Amino acid sequence: MKKAFLRWSINIGLLTLLSSCSFGSISLSSGTLNGRYNNEQVALSGNGKWLALVSDRSGTPRLMLYNLSEQRFVEIPFINTDEAVAESPSLSLSGRYLVYITSLDGKPEILLYDRLTQRQEILTQGYRSWVRRPRISPDGRYIVFETSRRGHWNIEVLDRGPYIELDIPDGSRANTPNR
Amino acid sequence: MSKQKSNYPLLYWLLLPISILFNGCGGYPSIVSLPYDFRGTSINSAANESYPQIAPPYIVFVSDRNGIQSIYLYNSQTRKLVDTPGLNFLDAIASSPSISENGRFIAFVANRNGRSAIYLYDRETRQRRNLTENIEAEVRNPNISSDGNKIAYEIARNGHWEIALIDINTI
Repeated sequence: MKKAFLRWSINIGLLTLLSSCSFGSISLSSGTLNGRYNNEQVALSGNGKWLALVSDRSGTPRLMLYNLSEQRFVEIPFINTDEAVAESPSLSLSGRYLVYITSLDGKPEILLYDRLTQRQEILTQGYRSWVRRPRISPDGRYIVFETSRRGHWNIEVLDRGPYIELDIPDGSRANTPNR
Repeated sequence: MSKQKSNYPLLYWLLLPISILFNGCGGYPSIVSLPYDFRGTSINSAANESYPQIAPPYIVFVSDRNGIQSIYLYNSQTRKLVDTPGLNFLDAIASSPSISENGRFIAFVANRNGRSAIYLYDRETRQRRNLTENIEAEVRNPNISSDGNKIAYEIARNGHWEIALIDINTI
C-alpha cells in the first residue's frame, strides 16, 4: 500500500511536471517544405492540412509540423530535447493530437501531445515490451503500434477511453458506444 | 481499515482520484485485447506484423505470414480479417499501408526488383492503381487523408528524402 502511494506520488509529480509548465511559445518559421533538407517519417493529418515530419533543417533531425495551406513550419520546442530524439509521428484528424516515439531512460515510449491544451502524456508508462511505429486514429481515441511482447513484432491497440475529447468535425465528446 | 486511513491522510484521498483520472492507473489508457492465432487467420500471428494503421473499426497492417510481405485488413468490430481481393501482388513486397477513414481506400508501397511505387487500392471496385508510374525515384511511406483525397509520401530526390503530395482528384 505504501509502495502504491509512492508510485502515485511519483506519477502525480511527473504529471505536474509534464502538464503545469508552459511549453514556451510555438516558434514559427516560414519556408518551402523541402529545400535542400532531409525530410522523413512524414505523417498527414486526417483533414490533409498538417504534416508531421522529422526534418534536419535546423541542423539536427527534429520533429516538426508543417501547415500545408499557410506553407510554414511550426515547431513544438518541448518535444525536441537534447537527450532524446522524437520520431515516428502520427496526427489525428485536425492535427490536434500528435503521437510519437521518444526514448526515456533508454526505452522507447509512446507519447501523446495535445496541441490544444499543450499537454503531453506518456501512453506506454508501465508497458514492458519494446514499441515501434505508433499511429493514432483520426478521432484520437485509439493508438495502434508494434509490440515485441511475443518475441517478434505483433500489433497492439491502446484505448484512451470514452472520456477524452474526440478530434471530430463537431468536436463533441466521446461516449458514443455505437460508433 | 482505520489504520490505513491514518497512514495515508487527506492528501492521499485527494490525489488518488486525480491520479486515476489523469494517469490511468487501472483505467485509461488501456490495452485492447486483440486475438492471436499462430496460423495467421486473425490479426496477430506467429509471423511478424508491422506498419499498423487504425481507422476504427479497421486496422490495416503488413504481415509476412504467407511467405511474402503483404497487406491485411482487420475489422475490430467483427474481430475478423476482411477479404481484400486484388490488393496484394504475388511478386512484390507490400509495405506502409494507410487507410481512409471510411475504410474504402488503402494507399501502400510495393517493391518489385528494386523499384518502388505508391499504389491506391479501392475496396469498392477491388482495383489498385499505380500513382507514381512516371516517377523513377524511390518512394515510400504514403499517408492518405481521412477523406481519401490526398496522399503525402516520401521520395528520394536531389540526394535526400523529400515530401511529395498527390491530389487524387487531379491524377
